[in-house]
Amino acid sequence: MLEIILKLKEVYLERELLIILSKRDISVRYKQTLLGLVWAVIKPMATMLVFLFAFKQVAKVNSFSGFPIQLIIFSGILFWNYFANSFQAICNSILINGNLVSKVYFPRLIICISSIAVPLLDFFVGLIVYFILSLSLHYPISNFVLLLPLALFITTIFSIGIGLIFVSFSVKYRDIQQITPLIVQYGFFITPIVYTTQEFLAKKWFPYYNIVNPLSSFVEFFRFTLIDNYHLFNLQNLFISLITSFIIFLIGLVIFSKREDSFVDFL
Amino acid sequence: MSIIEVNSVSKKYKLSTQKGPVSLREGFTNIFKKETKEEFWAVNKVSFNLEKGDKLGIIGNNGAGKSTLLKILSKITHPTSGTIRVQGKVASLLEVGTGFHPELTGRENIFLNGAILGMSKKEIASQFDEIVDFAGGQITKFLDTPVKRYSSGMYVRLGFAISAHLNPDILIVDEVLAVGDADFQKKSLGKMREVASQEKTILFVSHNLTAVANLCNKALHLEKGAVKEFGETGTVLTNYLSGLQNNILSKEFTIDTALGNDLVRLKLANLKPNLFDNQVFWDIRNSFSINIEFWNLIDNQNLNISLHLYASTGECIFNVATEPTILQKGIIQSNITIPGDLLNDGNYFISFMIVKDKSIILFNFEEVFNFEIADFREDTTWYGKWPGYVRPKFNFSIFQQTESI
Repeated sequence: MLEIILKLKEVYLERELLIILSKRDISVRYKQTLLGLVWAVIKPMATMLVFLFAFKQVAKVNSFSGFPIQLIIFSGILFWNYFANSFQAICNSILINGNLVSKVYFPRLIICISSIAVPLLDFFVGLIVYFILSLSLHYPISNFVLLLPLALFITTIFSIGIGLIFVSFSVKYRDIQQITPLIVQYGFFITPIVYTTQEFLAKKWFPYYNIVNPLSSFVEFFRFTLIDNYHLFNLQNLFISLITSFIIFLIGLVIFSKREDSFVDFL
Repeated sequence: MSIIEVNSVSKKYKLSTQKGPVSLREGFTNIFKKETKEEFWAVNKVSFNLEKGDKLGIIGNNGAGKSTLLKILSKITHPTSGTIRVQGKVASLLEVGTGFHPELTGRENIFLNGAILGMSKKEIASQFDEIVDFAGGQITKFLDTPVKRYSSGMYVRLGFAISAHLNPDILIVDEVLAVGDADFQKKSLGKMREVASQEKTILFVSHNLTAVANLCNKALHLEKGAVKEFGETGTVLTNYLSGLQNNILSKEFTIDTALGNDLVRLKLANLKPNLFDNQVFWDIRNSFSINIEFWNLIDNQNLNISLHLYASTGECIFNVATEPTILQKGIIQSNITIPGDLLNDGNYFISFMIVKDKSIILFNFEEVFNFEIADFREDTTWYGKWPGYVRPKFNFSIFQQTESI
């Protein structure tokens, strides 16, 4: 435990480096692409349009539990993209920055944490799009929007935790790079991203589902902070998932600090 | 009170058929299968202490563990066993321009690289102009250009300029300073000298023994990962060099085993540098003598010996030949002394051939001698590699002609 606190303290002491590496990732990202920030809008919009087409034209579904289908899908995608992008960015961070890791010492955790800067920026751009979308549908934004930073924080803790577990093995076992896209792809469908937990509420297995997939109650909490009167949020489930994700975070830190010394030998 | 205490530090690598990353499948099967991996100690029980202000030169052949030791000292990799205690801020320069991002501008990279090497934003900002200045005037125009557009020279200069403005208590430097053109080397070694004159502790790995001799007060000689010798630079260097050179190169054969053919056979080839009193290794000042003896197996041959001296790169530096002489059956001897202050420092090899009637090659004895000549400089402030294959002493004068302009 003490070791973990020391690790986090080390990151805090080197926060200037954390900031500058985040800035690097962001400016590189937007220097290399022609449309820059516009991509942060296009990607979730395109995904939403595909699902709108499928639901409205094929499945003839026009609303989920009485909420506009656009808002449910877009908020879900916004949430999922943030989780998936930061998870994958962390998984690849050590390999991408291999030249740094093998040439200079600084807390390795900084590389992993700084890599969520780009997904975070994309998230905020997407959030603005969400507000515009919500206004254009004349649907009010929830008063609980003040809790949005909390929802974001919980999600971040979970992505870092699970990302650290995977990145710890990604340097030695390069297969991890092939596995993570699959996790992201399947996770998208087993998490209520383009649907809600409405159908699950009565099911016996629902509480256990929240333990196995904490993202499920996170996304509902997330919607609760954005969509007015969103009733599918359940405090008890959130609590269960919170404990899971906190444990994952600790496990991630422990595994990472056990394995970080070996990275340089496999790069 | 030592500023660095290294206590029996070792680093073990496992040599297995799969070095580096492995696939998950192999990873799983390896758990069940006990593979006998060969172990390799890159650094083996190294101990030494440094006081504040010490400059340590680390020398040794390739693969002696120098770079691994530096990596352990700069915390990049962890030792398998042993402890290190370091007091103060450490900066390590294992490569110039570490972490430069090609897409970012020179200005952005100065801040990025500085931060990676451990400078605070404030420190970088306050030294920004000096850094740009040190990197050379040309950089100013390109400060807002991505570094991918820089010439490799500009890239290295900017990288070095940042490193040169680090302000650590302990500086760890790898061979980095050996890169770049002669001009840049001059500048970087000059900067090293400047740092060396301060109360900084430096650990310096180099193949440039002249630089080590002039910059460092202590030296550590590593051999196969272990400490061969640690102590005053002069003593360590002398022992290192004398061990390195195997100067009395001689080959002797009986008539049955001798190199050659039915016409001529080599009996003896001997090369000996003529060292001064108390001198232990061969440097550029020394002349050297070659003595060749061969069996001539046919009467009345008109023979001469043609000797080629090559640089390690394979270029022929010179070719000298004896007068053609009519020789009878028997043992023939030939001697030559090559003067000192002729060849530059470096590795050379010598081949010679026996020629009949000025044009027919009877036999070519290839790479008979292979040797190294060390550098020698007195009262110098410049440690770069002296260019050229030859380094003759000519009468080259300079004087004040008049005092009016």
